[in-house]
Amino acid sequence: MMAIAAEKMAQYEEYVEALDLLDEESRFEYIIDIGKRADKTPFPADCMDDAHLMHGCMSKVWIIHEIEDGAHHFRGQSDAIIVKGLVSMMTGSFSGLSSEELAEITLDHVRGLNLGALTMQRQVGMMAMLKHMQKLSQRAERSPDTLRAAD
Amino acid sequence: MNDIATNTDLTGHNVEGGFNVDLIRRDFPILSREVHGKPLVYFDSGASAQKPRAVIDAMTQVLEEDYTNVHRGAHYLSQTLTDRYESVRGTIARFLNAPTEEEIVITRNTTEAINLVAATYGREFLSKGDGVVISDMEHHANIVPWQLLRDEIGIELKVAPIDDRGVLDMDAYADLLDGNTKLVSITHCSNVLGTMVPGKEIVRLAHNRGIPVLLDGSQAVVHSKVDVQDLDADFYVFTGHKLYGPTAIGVLYGKAELLAQMPPYQGGGDMIATVTYEKTTYQEPPYRFEAGTPPIVEAIGLGAAIDYVSAIGMDKIAAHEKALLAYATERLTAMPDVRLFGSAPEKAAILSFVQDGIHPFDTAATLDRAGVAARVGQHCAEPLMARLGVDGTVRASLAMYNTTGEIDIMIAALERARSLFG
Repeated sequence: MMAIAAEKMAQYEEYVEALDLLDEESRFEYIIDIGKRADKTPFPADCMDDAHLMHGCMSKVWIIHEIEDGAHHFRGQSDAIIVKGLVSMMTGSFSGLSSEELAEITLDHVRGLNLGALTMQRQVGMMAMLKHMQKLSQRAERSPDTLRAAD
Repeated sequence: MNDIATNTDLTGHNVEGGFNVDLIRRDFPILSREVHGKPLVYFDSGASAQKPRAVIDAMTQVLEEDYTNVHRGAHYLSQTLTDRYESVRGTIARFLNAPTEEEIVITRNTTEAINLVAATYGREFLSKGDGVVISDMEHHANIVPWQLLRDEIGIELKVAPIDDRGVLDMDAYADLLDGNTKLVSITHCSNVLGTMVPGKEIVRLAHNRGIPVLLDGSQAVVHSKVDVQDLDADFYVFTGHKLYGPTAIGVLYGKAELLAQMPPYQGGGDMIATVTYEKTTYQEPPYRFEAGTPPIVEAIGLGAAIDYVSAIGMDKIAAHEKALLAYATERLTAMPDVRLFGSAPEKAAILSFVQDGIHPFDTAATLDRAGVAARVGQHCAEPLMARLGVDGTVRASLAMYNTTGEIDIMIAALERARSLFG
């Protein structure tokens, strides 16, 4: 296990602290607010394609993955506001990490956000998002040229 | 409230002349629980219905007192449980008004029942170029088994269209019963739109051309009285867990003369007459199609579920649900942002809808916060979603234990969704 530098996890910690102060109903509205704010951030329309799609049934999720100086950066989009909020929390929390650091992120980190039932749905769940992000980073490690071409 | 509360006993069973939803609700222990601090409003019975105490008790009693394996046991427990297990076949036969209980095959669910027909009747009697007619509102369970058969032997899949109300186009259906069509396999009630399909007419038109018909009754048996002899259906399939029974048990009714001609589905114990390394002979139907230890406890549970709904009366359940459907339709259509799919004149209490400008997942998540359990997505009917021109819908599927008060809770939650996401 390697320790991840605290400054790299600042956004994650901010979410954890903010959510900790809220009751369940307020958390629900907090996620919607994040989703609405994310809605105002442009996401390239040509990236809402099958190549960036994370397969699920209830709503669609697209993830863009980029590497800068060995750090993985993610941006996400969804057609549902709540899912957009959840994606935004995940990409915001775990961007800027190296592959090794990203591999250290576990279910416990997701649980740490304390989002209850909203986090655990299989098809749009945050664990599925985390696994997808980890898979993208690992794939990039194996063949960085292919990935850059695909993106 | 639209319920008629008269002459009720404490359990809601054997209620003469009336239907008291409050008493019915007491029979379903789960309905007293809360979700997110709110009373559970269970509008997902189309996916799987809740279980009455009678079903839970029957299954528990078997497991605690009478459990063993069935068939060919020399001991007391096996003989008595075999009798009880086999008596459920009779219960199912009476429920469907099937002529004999030998025409009732126990399966795992509807999906397995349709796969069984495709794999046995299909392989035996269909060949390359033969047509199988389905409709535009099938569950994937009545699409994919035929596609597998298509890929294997080259049958042609023909799709009968629906109109914008979700009503099957009977003229187009009749046109599909042309020279190469050899089987019809159509839902008796749409799991998305609630459309009740005119099963008797479907069968009559097909039989005029000598074509056998399978009706998928997964939803229909829950919402209406089904009589396979009146329908004259050749195959009728349904699943236990939507009919207030347990999971992992389903039913295939097949006319005796058809079942007799069909080869086995799976090989194993229970389905054989004699086995040598050189040659194995098979049991007569229905046992020929029931390889391996059957779902014993689940069968007892399904028997209890059928006894339960029969004691209440399918006609009374249907009347209660019709009143709920009318009320929910009125409330939903009064909301300017709600688009309701499916307005067939004959419709079960299944309501699929979207709120304009709000993703169905966001709507359903807001319903969930209010304790309302509804389904969201494509409901295992992707081709139908494409026909409706949507990625998915929210589906509220109502049951005998639901109330107009619960519909009001859903409407209030939809108004909240409008303010949160609008």
